[in-house]
Amino acid sequence: MSEVMEKRVLVDLDRCIECRSCAAACFHSHAGFPAVSFARAGWALLPMICRQCKAAACVDACPAEAMTRDANGVVRRGLFRCIGCGSCARACPFGVIPNELGGTPAGCRSPQGLTGHQVAKCDLCEDRTAGVPDAVPRCVAACPSGALQFADEHEAEKQHLQVVGGRSTADHLFKRR
Amino acid sequence: MVGSQQMLKAGARCTLCPAGCGVLRVRVGPDSWRIDPPLEGAAGLCPRGAALGELLTHRDRILWPVCVEAAGRRQIDLSAAAAAIVQAAGERDLLVFLDGNVPCEQIAQAAAWCQAWPKARLCVVIEPADEQLLLGAEASGADYLADDALGDCDGFVLIGDVFAANPCCARGIFQRRAEDSRTPIVAIDPAAGTAAKFATHAVQAGVGQEALALAAVAAAAGVEARLPGAPSPAEMPSATAAGKAIARCGRLGVIVAAEYGRSTAWRQVGYLAGRLAAALGGGLACQTVGANALAALRCGRKLGTVPLVEALADRAAAWVVIGGDLLGMLGWMPQGILAAAAALSNRTTEAAEFVLPLALTAEMGGTVLLGGAREADVEPILPPPAGVPTGAEIVAQLARAAGIRPPQAASGPLATERLSVEPPAESGNGQAPAAPVLLFARQAAQAGCGALTAHGSWQQATQPLPELRISAADAAELAIRHLATVHVSAAGLSVDAKAQVCQLLPDGVVVLPEGTAAARRLAMCQVDEAAGQVVARPVTVEITP
Repeated sequence: MSEVMEKRVLVDLDRCIECRSCAAACFHSHAGFPAVSFARAGWALLPMICRQCKAAACVDACPAEAMTRDANGVVRRGLFRCIGCGSCARACPFGVIPNELGGTPAGCRSPQGLTGHQVAKCDLCEDRTAGVPDAVPRCVAACPSGALQFADEHEAEKQHLQVVGGRSTADHLFKRR
Repeated sequence: MVGSQQMLKAGARCTLCPAGCGVLRVRVGPDSWRIDPPLEGAAGLCPRGAALGELLTHRDRILWPVCVEAAGRRQIDLSAAAAAIVQAAGERDLLVFLDGNVPCEQIAQAAAWCQAWPKARLCVVIEPADEQLLLGAEASGADYLADDALGDCDGFVLIGDVFAANPCCARGIFQRRAEDSRTPIVAIDPAAGTAAKFATHAVQAGVGQEALALAAVAAAAGVEARLPGAPSPAEMPSATAAGKAIARCGRLGVIVAAEYGRSTAWRQVGYLAGRLAAALGGGLACQTVGANALAALRCGRKLGTVPLVEALADRAAAWVVIGGDLLGMLGWMPQGILAAAAALSNRTTEAAEFVLPLALTAEMGGTVLLGGAREADVEPILPPPAGVPTGAEIVAQLARAAGIRPPQAASGPLATERLSVEPPAESGNGQAPAAPVLLFARQAAQAGCGALTAHGSWQQATQPLPELRISAADAAELAIRHLATVHVSAAGLSVDAKAQVCQLLPDGVVVLPEGTAAARRLAMCQVDEAAGQVVARPVTVEITP
């Protein structure tokens, strides 16, 4: 099991300043398909980033087998298989797969996309992090306030970060029967 | 993909705000680039910086000089354009407005050409509110703090939405707060921006009362700060509590963002903020539009350039605007501009008789004074496209067309030596207009009036309309629903916006992003020659669903 498999993008809610740098970095590096969505919780606007669930509901829900887990354990969207149906977005228990951007369906919006209908999906920026030990996904590197961290659960505990809901990767609750 | 990444020299930076974030350029096509945060040691890159790579090779980039004629636009070469501009100016003086967010060498070269050319005068342009803030800060004698020095402070005063102006300044504040949870964070922001959410002490300042509130905070902290009209402790208890909280600080960081259309007293704010920071052993961090605003101000004053207020009052001269978006920045309607140079079209180029191409700041190398605190030798991210000149080269081309011989540019520590400025006159603000009052707030997505970054695809995709923040009570009274499109109008002008009901915003105040040139027109700048400043005041607006 590789190190990438264990690390996740964690959000420190006490540091997020709503600048959306994470979403912009993701947008520019993923051909206009940002995999960072936002949710408003009271006064705060929080970034919603894929947890790379060990039992991923999005993989089960995809009718086109576009959502797959790669050798590093990262759940990815196959560019040429995705039909933009949004099944994964609806199945995701954490609501982190964006199906809307700026009020319009994300899959229909990108002028640079290869097809007109696709869903954005976080791939932990494997093109950037592969083979570079200290490299982090772009959203984490772009975060100016230090709210986003690329860490495993043990590192999060060391930094006294409480993982919301007591879990970060949904390895039990959504396990297939 | 990693193989296509090319590490730049250590000095390659985004200079759209004082953070000066390091950048990594990545080739994504034969002639297109993307900007990424560095692979190691990245400390942030906001949406403005992330858009830079796309803007450098934008498909709408202005690459050739154009003469605007009745029959249409005619492409000409640069030397012919320079000769035609000089000829069109005729007997009039030439007034050159040079964007101040360029390396200091560019300003020195342009100033040298204009000094050698009797008919030409140079005005180095920075945002009017920033100019007043920095003049006050210079007079205060306070040290300037870079972002990495903020973590050493043991208390903070935040004026305006400093986290939107420079998101990177949040890191040091949060680091300090993590080390000591009792660290006082005082926020003075009538528009209740993001920074105010993190405050331990939010000062309830009314519209245009930043200077008065700051004076009250300083007085409560035991720092002498006289300002006529400053509220007594009983009148502003939140300021008194905030002042007492910071009174014990040994190193106070005061961070200020002088947002458009907020106040006429930014000079007083800069002076008071500097005095307060200096008295409590700390320093001042002015979050200006562009990284080099303080250096531009210092260079401009030392090189004898024309202040903005004087330049704008001279309507008899022929105006040549190089860089920036003068009309968009001032919120002015299209009017006589002889020539405008820009990388991408804006309100000023649309009003100009001659449109010239221009290298972006990210394509120029040179000295930049990041946030007034760190002198950096910045490397260009990319060289400019073939045949696209820098601002200084355009001034040189114009001067040569007028028969001027090459001068010797000034050298020496132009940017690092503090200006000798008198403390501001002690004057408070005028009366606030009737509600609903329009305030402007800075955004992490747009730089300045948005003339450049508005061309970015992420900005266009996520914000097709500017967001209007409105309190829940005002929204209910005006029958405006959350996310509904509304018309905001003042003085016969209007702009469409998307309503965002904001729980923190006080009633009677609505907020638009200052990075929208169309919105700035609702509170356009006025030239106040008597006060010696260019000001945009809060205005009453009408909001209709």
